[in-house]
Order: sequence, then C-alpha cells, then structure tokens
Amino acid sequence: MSATDLTQADFAALPRQHSADQLSRPSLSYWADAWRRLRANPRAMSSLGLILALLAFVTVGPMVWTVDPSVQDVDHIGISPGADRQVTLTTPFIPWEPEALTPPTPSTGNPLGFTLAQSATTQSVRLTWADQDSPRRLYRNLFAPEDTGSFGLPLADLDTPYFEDRLDLQPETYYYTLVALDAAGEESETTATLTIDVTRVISIAQAQERGLIQPDESAEIGQTLKLAWHPLGTDYLGRDMLARLMYGGQVSLFIGLLAPLAFVFLGVIYGSVAGFLGGPVDQAMMRFADFVVALPFLLFMILFKVVFGIGPGESGILPMLAAMIILLWPAPARLVRGQILQIREEAYVSASKLLGATTPYVVGRHMLPNTLGVILVTITFQVPSAIFTEAFLSFIGMGVAPPTPSWGAMCNEGIKSMLTRPHELLFPAMMISATVLAFNLLGDGLRDALDARMRGAE
Amino acid sequence: MSKSANDYTTANPALVEISHLVKHFELGRGQRVHAVDDVSLSIYPNEVVGLVGESGSGKSTLGKTVVGLHDKTAGQVTFNGTQLPARYGGDDFRAMASKMQMIFQDPYSSLNPRMTVGEIVSEGLRLRQDLTPAVVQEKVAHWLRLVGLSPDHQSRYPHEFSGGQRQRIGIARALILEPEFVVCDEPISALDVSVQAQVVNLLGDLTKELGLTLLFIAHDLSMVRYISDRMAVMYLGCLVEVGTSAQVFFDPKHPYTETLIASNPEADPEHERQRPSTTIQGEIPSPINVPAGCRFANRCPKAMSHCSTQTPLLKPIAGEGDQRLVACHLYT
Amino acid sequence: MTHSTDNSAGSTVGAPITGEQPTPRQPLLRVDDLHVDFQTYGGVVQAVRGVSFEVAAGQTLAIVGESGCGKSVTVQSLMGLIPMPPGRIHKGTATLRGHDILASKFVGGQDIRGREISMIFQDPMTSLNPTMTIGRQIAETLEVHRGYSQSQAFNRAVELLEMSKIPEAAKRAKQYPFEFSGGMLQRAMIAMAIACEPAILVADEPTTALDVTIQAQILDLLGDLQQETGMAIILITHDLGVVARMADDVMVMYAGEVVERGSVDDIFYRSGHPYTQGLRLAMPSNKRAEDGGAEQTLLAIDGSPPDLFNPPTGCAYHPRCPHAMNVCAQQAPAQYGLGSTSASNQGLSHQAACWLHHELCAAQKDQP
Repeated sequence: MSATDLTQADFAALPRQHSADQLSRPSLSYWADAWRRLRANPRAMSSLGLILALLAFVTVGPMVWTVDPSVQDVDHIGISPGADRQVTLTTPFIPWEPEALTPPTPSTGNPLGFTLAQSATTQSVRLTWADQDSPRRLYRNLFAPEDTGSFGLPLADLDTPYFEDRLDLQPETYYYTLVALDAAGEESETTATLTIDVTRVISIAQAQERGLIQPDESAEIGQTLKLAWHPLGTDYLGRDMLARLMYGGQVSLFIGLLAPLAFVFLGVIYGSVAGFLGGPVDQAMMRFADFVVALPFLLFMILFKVVFGIGPGESGILPMLAAMIILLWPAPARLVRGQILQIREEAYVSASKLLGATTPYVVGRHMLPNTLGVILVTITFQVPSAIFTEAFLSFIGMGVAPPTPSWGAMCNEGIKSMLTRPHELLFPAMMISATVLAFNLLGDGLRDALDARMRGAE
Repeated sequence: MSKSANDYTTANPALVEISHLVKHFELGRGQRVHAVDDVSLSIYPNEVVGLVGESGSGKSTLGKTVVGLHDKTAGQVTFNGTQLPARYGGDDFRAMASKMQMIFQDPYSSLNPRMTVGEIVSEGLRLRQDLTPAVVQEKVAHWLRLVGLSPDHQSRYPHEFSGGQRQRIGIARALILEPEFVVCDEPISALDVSVQAQVVNLLGDLTKELGLTLLFIAHDLSMVRYISDRMAVMYLGCLVEVGTSAQVFFDPKHPYTETLIASNPEADPEHERQRPSTTIQGEIPSPINVPAGCRFANRCPKAMSHCSTQTPLLKPIAGEGDQRLVACHLYT
Repeated sequence: MTHSTDNSAGSTVGAPITGEQPTPRQPLLRVDDLHVDFQTYGGVVQAVRGVSFEVAAGQTLAIVGESGCGKSVTVQSLMGLIPMPPGRIHKGTATLRGHDILASKFVGGQDIRGREISMIFQDPMTSLNPTMTIGRQIAETLEVHRGYSQSQAFNRAVELLEMSKIPEAAKRAKQYPFEFSGGMLQRAMIAMAIACEPAILVADEPTTALDVTIQAQILDLLGDLQQETGMAIILITHDLGVVARMADDVMVMYAGEVVERGSVDDIFYRSGHPYTQGLRLAMPSNKRAEDGGAEQTLLAIDGSPPDLFNPPTGCAYHPRCPHAMNVCAQQAPAQYGLGSTSASNQGLSHQAACWLHHELCAAQKDQP
C-alpha cells in the first residue's frame, strides 16, 4: 500500500453516513422466503410438477379421455399398449370341407408336409399335412418350441390329415407343432413346426353391431377398419387401462389427500390443546393417544367394514377413510404438542401475555403460525403413506371392491397375469411409485425450505 | 460528558412493594426448587433498582414473578398500593399491561419470527382494540424513532436485524403502552460489548424522559452499578444486601457482596495487578436442598459458628439509615 | 479432543519436539499474515484477513474482539480444528519453535496438539465426553502422548485434578461430567489440557459461561499454573476486564484483522486505535466513579460489526469510526509503530492499523 501518493485532502473527515444500520436485502415474509428456497431445489420442483401433473391426470383426464372404465371391449382382452388394432372385414364363418382337399406332398424340408391350408384368421386356422400312416399329435404354442423346449398346448390326436383350430384365437403369432406318433402311441422324433400369424377379422354384420360401421356406410370384404384405441392396453376383462388408471387415481388420491388432511387436522387440535394446557390434562390426553397408537390397524379396518355393513360387492372407501382418521391422528398430535411445548417457553409468548393477549390470540397468532411449517411437512409425508396404505388394503382385498378401480386393486388383478401381460401390473404400480416418490421428495424439499427459516438466524 | 443522576427519592411511597415473596417450583416426589425465598424489596418511583446475583440466585425468577409470569407461592406484590393477584388470569394481564412491562433477555427468541416489526411493536395497542389503525401506525413510527430505528423498518422481519436492534424493538414493544414500571431481565447479556452501551444508554435516556421506574436484573456488576440508583444482591433465593449503587459497590458489607465485587475484573491493568487472589471457596449449594441457616455459610470466609444454624434476616445497618440493608450475622 | 499418534518415524514417545529452544524473549509461536476464508453457498466469507502475532514462553497473549472478528477461527486454524473444505488457509505461515505447523500438525512424528499446544473451550459441558469418566479422559491424553500405562495415567490424572484445585480428586476422577458443576468442569478441562505439560495453552473464552466468582477462581488457577510450569497462554475473550487481569500482551481484532497490538499497558493506557478506545469507553469505569469523579456517560459505538460476506472497503472499522477520513474508505491502513515500550516490559511492540498515525494526518486522536 503506497502511502506516498496520498494528499492532504485524503485526510479530510469522511462525511458521516448514517448507513451504519442500513438493511440492504429486500424483506421477505416467511412463506415468500420458503418458496424461494423451494424453487431453488430442483428435486422438489420436479416432484411438485409431477404431483400437479398427476392431479391433472385424474381430474382433467377423464374429461379428455372419455372412455368408460367399466366397459369391456371383447375384442381386446388383455392387449398390451400399442398392439395392432386393425381388423379386416370378411364374410361370416364358412364351414370347412377339408375332405375335398388334396393332401400336400411331403418334401425333403418338410417330411410331414405340414402346411397352412388357408390364410389364418381369428375365425379359424386351418392346417393340413401329408397322408399319414400313423396318428399325428398337434400342439399349439405362443412361444417358439426351440426357445421354451416345449411344444405347448396339445390340441388333438388326429387320424385324418387336417385340423381346424378355433380355440380362442387372438391376432398373435402361434407355433403349431405336428408330432408323428409311432405304433405304440409314443411320440416319435419326426416333428414339424409352423409359425402362423393370425389376422383379426370380423364380419360386416358384427362390425355394424359394434358400431364400427355406420348403417348407411358402405363396406366391402377385405376392407380394413381400426378398432378402438387403447393407448395403455386393456386388462384381463378388456377394460381400458388408461381410463381405469384415471378413475383409480381419483379413488387413490382422494383417500390419499383427504385422510391425511383430516387426521392431521384432528391431531393438530388435539396436540395444541394438550400442549397448551399442560400438566395433568396433557398427561391424560397423551396417554389416550398412546392407547390409540396401540390399536391394530388391519383389525379395525375389517371391524369397520363389518360395522358399516359393507357387503362383498360394495366399495369400501368409507370404512377405510374412517379407520385411517380414527387410528392415525396420534402421530401428528404428538408432533404438534412437542412444538407447542417448545414455543410456550419462548420469550415472545411471555411478552404477548404481558401485553394483555388472551389465550386464543396467543395460540392462534403466535403458536400455530410457528407450527405451520411442521404441520405442512407432516401432511406432505402422510400423503404417500396413506396412498400406500390404501393400495395395500385394496391389494389384499380389504379396500375398494370391484368394479371401483383403484391403483392398489389394479395391482392385485395385474399380479395374476404378471408373466404374460405385465402391463396390467406395471402401469398401476408405476403410478403408485411415482406418486409416493413425488410426495416424499416434495416433503423433503418443504422441510428444508421451511426448517432453515425456523432455525431463525441468517 | 457526565451522566446525570435520576431524580428519585425514597421518601415517597413505594411504587412497587415486594413483600415476603416466595416462589418454589415443584419437581414432584416432595422436591422443590427454592428459587425465591422470602424476598422483600421496595421500589420507589423514578428510580432504577439493580438486581445482581450469579446463576441460581433467583433474580430472573423474581422479576418474572413480580410481573405475573410466574404464580406466587407465597407473599405479595403491591403496585401503587393495590395488591396484585397471586395468580394472573387474562384480565389481570390486560389490566396491568399499561402499568408493568418487561424487557427480555434473548433478542433472538423474544420476537416472533413470523411477525413484522410493525406488528410486534404495535401488538399491545392492537390488543386494546380502541385505537384506529392510523393512530396505531403513528405511534409505532414514533416509538421506533425513539429507540433509534427508522419507521421504514416496520415492514421488515426480526431476522434482518442485529441483536442490538432487536433489543431496541423489544424495548419499543414494551414501552409503547407507556407503563410506569419496567422489569429488565438481563437485557444486555446476549449482546456484544460495543452494543451493550447503546442499549444501556437508551434505557437510561428513556427512563429519564418518560419518568420510568426500572428493575434492572443483570449479572454484569459494573453495568448494573452504572445504570442503577440502588442495588440489591441476591444469593440462592435470598436478598443479602441492599443500598445505593455506590454503597453496595464500593463499600460492600455482606461477605458475598465483597467477594462478588472483588472478583469483578476491572478494565485497568494496574488495578488488576494489585488485586489479591479471590478468597471464595467451594460451590454454590443446590437450590433444591438449601442449607439451614445462612445459605452462604459454607463458603463464607468470615463464617461464625451460628451462621449455619440461624438464618440472618435482611435488616438495616445501625447508623446508616433504613435503606441500607444487609442479611448477615456480622451486623446484628 | 481425540488425537492420533504416528510413531512411524521411530522417535521416542514422550520427548518434546526438537527445534529452536526459545530464549526468554524468543517467540515460541510465530504467526505471520494468516488468511483464512470459508467457501459457503452464499459466497466466500473472509474470516481472518492478515493476522500476525507472536507468543513467548511464560507470557499471556490476549486476543480481544467481538463476535465475528475472527479470533476463534485464528486459533482453531492453528490447531487444525477448521474443516477444510469449506475452510481454507490461503495465505500465511505459522511456526512453533521454527517448525511449520500449518503444513502438518505432526512434528518429528508426533502430533503437537495435546503435547505442545493444548486447548480449552468455552462450554466445558459439550467439550467433554459425557460417556467417559473424567479420570479416564485425562488419562487418555497421557496414554496417547506419553505412552503411560493405564494405571500410571490414572494416577497422574488424579494428581492433575488436585493441581487444578478440585477437592476429593480421587473420588471425582471416577465421576462423569454430568456430576460436575460448570466451574469444576472447566478445571477438569484445564487439568486435561496441561496433562502433557504443553508449551502453549490456548483458552477460547474459558470463563464466558461462568459466574464472576467462579471466573475469578479459574483465572487465578490459570495464573498459578503458568507460574509453576512456565507455559504460554493464548487467551481469547471479549471481556476487557479479563484482559486487564490476565494479559501481558494484547491483540485487538476487528472484522478478521488485527487493528491494534501491544503490551497490556499500551493497549489500556496509550491506545492508538479508535476501536480499542471505543471498547474501553463503552464500559463503565468503576475506578473513576469511586474516586469521586463524575461518572462518565458510556460512549456507545454506533452500528454493528460488519457482514463478512462483504467487508467494507479500506479500513473495516470506518463506517463506525468517529474519526473516519476519506482515505479510510479507500485504502486499508498499514500497521504503524507507536511509541516505545519501556525497557522492562519486553512485550509485543505497540502497533495500530489506523490512518490517524499517518504523517499527513493533522487531526489529533483522543487520548483516553
């Protein structure tokens, strides 16, 4: 620091600025500051976005996707999303007369002469093979035999060289295997496998019945139509998955949001009264809360179901709600009581009393606002818990009953066809996971945003 | 610039009369904390009475009991001749709000972090509900200026202010109702040294301007001596000495007061070099199991045989007027 | 405080580190231009901005300042107690008997902390392990640094407790911290700190949380121990009374910088910096009042200590200084040597960082 280039002027008195007590940063209220912090947290904001999207999905969704979730689409039992929904118009079923056909001749690549007689449709798959000296056994499989090591479903043992398959044909790829039986009736090594792609067809009359063709529209054989679109596929009864997810979401979120709001509200009142009154009243109230904690949840659910007289066909939302509210309020009550006990000792509460504040004013103006942060975080963490509880109860059959959809119930149904039609389980499970995760992350973010301020000093 | 003295006299009737006040806290199982045991003190209009003591002395509890934040176990407090209730209800606080107020110790927990400064300072007025918002606003601005803050600070939140500024906000809150008597419970203990002087000066100025009467509770002996007209010393729930600040500080009579003053370090190296080593021994007894007789007996360098059996009463010292009190067998 | 030993160098456990042997006035510890800052999410906090000082054997250096001045961070960085990151010593040196202790706390294969430099803290309740007996905690230091056996160490621990004037030391050594009062705990902590006969004892606000009578006892104890062992003491405090009582040399800090240093008489009777003067004038002067003089009004210092995210330009004290000049807002002042210390007191030379001592400055600063 070169002191040589200083002049006398530099040593003149500095005019006194009364900025010694200046406050530079803009003033933010508690909530504005908490919001600012929350906004800066990317995980919390994406969770918030996800939750809003989910809420839109279940509320606005049904208005946009107006498919009825209980309607069964018999053409589309258990199809996966993005399955082909083309259907070709054809004549009504014409019985086959295979006797008139000439049996095919065996060739070197195909010793049994196993061929498809006509184009395979969902009406029938007609197979024929070369004249036989011994019986033949026909198998059908959804998966290639060389992959699974099994021929699949045995359809018939045949003495005649033809077969018409009409058994539950879906527009899929089937693997038919013909096995020659030897004199003793055992399977020989001579087999032939055909890979058949089955086309979906319906007759014009059926199409008109189902409203795919209007009465005054012209229709021709061979014309292809498109069946109803199911973007997420259908379930085992042919009901649209997307619609079911939306309505199921309504049920799940309704319970998931309403129950926590209700029992936290109850808990807040109980806890603040206990905390504020203190002494023996507080002790008695807390012992009662302990008692409620000890009650078994599942048993009470069933009890309420019985008490409310819910039969097997009726939805069990009300008993579930009642059980949750009645049994889950002690946790927030304890939390709020602890906060109130702490705040009661703070000097600003004493100051307020000295200024002449009445008890309701002190509780409402000083204690509860300082507890709101904790309450909000509690609610946010209880929501995923409630959703999961509902899902679990529906999963074990103690919750909502069919046909009312709920995500948990849908998971229950989806388990049965998990291996063949995984989408039925996957979609509701993903919805539950996404919701639970989003609320948990939001709760974390909220707690950080509010907590830092609750600790006070900057 | 020299400090001007307060204009008070002990000839007038006392503004606040504390008479044989007792406050015990029950711990259950028959145990109790003897926080305040039979304390009697007269506080006269326009004076500043300093109350000193170390931890466990009960001085803060005394302050809170006088003001009504603790229920009285026994004894009474009289304000302007009227006896105050042993246990305050909401109505009692409202009635006394414009007569007795308190300034709190911790500037960080004495202001509600969710309220703006304006709301905090105006709370007392708003609770009365008989003033228009315009009048309230004007008063808040006036008091903020009086304590050295700007009216612009009304819309800000406590966390934006330093400790000293928060204490000023607390002072404005307490004084806006224009009480006659203010209990200051360790108002400067949590502040930095350079800021303590600001707050002490402010309190001193306001006391004179507004004709307040203060009970100034603190453990910083020098500050208490500076601001107070009279001083009282507490030990383990009892008053051991009362007198003018000069008397108690420079001519202590009770052995505890002597030790206290002797232990107080002076910002003067020469003075400290000549100071002898401290003579006090042992530990302060537990306020749950208070010893019989004089509570200071086990540590007193001048203890006599009957000190641990007979409790000395707070009595005037012969020949020094009736305001010079000490509770010690050396003077009976 | 837990210490780790590194005996890999093969040096004898228990021997003091070799190095310069200080002569009576040679500094034991020398700190030069220390800069410590913290990377926080809100920005960089410059906690210590160019601190230099020396400590000699048998002397007490008091570091005085208010909250946020950097006094604690200075000694904690010497002791290696600052987590780095977010802390960072980006400039400066510190040597103990000539060995650089910023680079490594291990000299000659031994950790100097606990052996050469010990520290006691403000709140003894949180500085002692609540799950170990006091005797065990003191013994641990001896076992680790001196290689004592368990029984040897425990016996020595009892002796140390007696040295710290704890009555019934043998019984107390088997008790847990919660059974002690605040004053006793501080004594126990002192006993632990002096167990290995350190050359320097750092005391960070050791009596702030204690009553004034207990404070007097503890300060007396420290003084006595210093007489007996000849150790140096670095005492951090904000209480000028404690400084007057204990210190030989004083260093006044403000906003991370040293604003004035010198012997204790220099600082109190011949102060050269407006902040030091301000601190003294902000305290009631009992002596003057006793002598019958008129009581001086306390002179408060306006404003509050600065925000270290954004320290003021130039001299950090200028917004609050009654003598501020234009140059004060522009450039930080150099350290100016003041007067001459008397021959008998070979304390720190008296320096103040203030433009008022510049030759061009015509204004006369107030004399206390």
